[in-house]
Amino acid sequence: MDKSEIMLLCASPRRKGTSTMLLERIQAVTGSEVVFLPQKDSLHELVLVMQQAATIVISGPCYINTYPARLIELLEAAALAGGFSGQKLYGIINGGMPYIHTHQHGLTCLQLFAEQNHLSWQGGFVLGCGAMLDGKPLEKHMNRKTVVPAFDQFIRHIAAGTPSPSCLYEQAQSPPGKIMTQVFAKLLTFLVEKSIKKHGHDPKAANWYLREQE
Amino acid sequence: MIVIVSDDSKGDYGPALAEAVSQTETQLVHFSANALTVMPCVACGSCSGKTYGRCITQDDMQQVLPKIAGCRALVLVSPVVFGGVSYHIKKIMDRMAAVGDPRYRISEGELVKGMSGQGMNYYMLGIGDELSATERAAFLSLHEENRKIMSAQGQAFILSGRSGQASINKIAQEIVYG
Repeated sequence: MDKSEIMLLCASPRRKGTSTMLLERIQAVTGSEVVFLPQKDSLHELVLVMQQAATIVISGPCYINTYPARLIELLEAAALAGGFSGQKLYGIINGGMPYIHTHQHGLTCLQLFAEQNHLSWQGGFVLGCGAMLDGKPLEKHMNRKTVVPAFDQFIRHIAAGTPSPSCLYEQAQSPPGKIMTQVFAKLLTFLVEKSIKKHGHDPKAANWYLREQE
Repeated sequence: MIVIVSDDSKGDYGPALAEAVSQTETQLVHFSANALTVMPCVACGSCSGKTYGRCITQDDMQQVLPKIAGCRALVLVSPVVFGGVSYHIKKIMDRMAAVGDPRYRISEGELVKGMSGQGMNYYMLGIGDELSATERAAFLSLHEENRKIMSAQGQAFILSGRSGQASINKIAQEIVYG
């Protein structure tokens, strides 16, 4: 990778999910290549690519309130290898819950990685309700009217190499109100239970590991 | 039962905490995450559908999940890494979805989920020297968000590499009797 290039790194184990879709939206503007985080084997080659990029954009899903373990492993390997000198770093994290605070830790994690390893943190984008998209275009997002222009502004920051403020994603997404929260809880639980029943399981049964121990 | 999962690659706080908890005659299981072979979660979705409540990846996590499923307290011990946990511990966290309750509930006006069983207490112990205020706040916020999403009780602790056994014993008391 040429030092002037932008590296688009997908930190999801799923290659056709929302994390990839968001990077492909950036790719349409910057023309950069999307690189996928390998789920097995050494991360050495990928660290070398990171060292050689001028700008790194990491997009990943939110697992238990931050990025998946394999990305943390990459960041630990990159910190151990060193060799960074001012590379610009942007982050994107998307998760199922509609609250920014649920997913915010991912960006803080990247910011700390950047600050401790001589990269230049440029900000990021938190996308709530991202899992519902399941790779479908951002125009299908429930807050599309505010989220689409905000994310496109985020892309313009990446293309220009300028910092992206957190107010971009904070102002584009507001949490659902009391009634909508109740509707979501019932609807999503209905869909989850329907899926579990479809596979022949009782959603109210004790966990499989507990039943195995009885 | 109390389950302690620790990354002991950079220190022996996990074994020290396990020793302190065992002094109270509480039933205890301790796993060293860095000594386990645990693959990353690949988001296959099987644990919330086809094999509901069971992870299909066959590795050492199959020893850990039955213990977590029935525990009254889970304690994760990790070096503080970029304001979070190490990848050894994060792999364990990601794979815990199999013993989570995929249904939604509301707590303090927000959507949350829960864990299987009767509910558990959830603790994190972070180890780090000269941590910045941002690192400390990030570690505590990660625990707080985890606790909310799991509908669990519990708290996070941060110790420096110079902390002695007395600090460990105090945390053990909090976990066992708190």
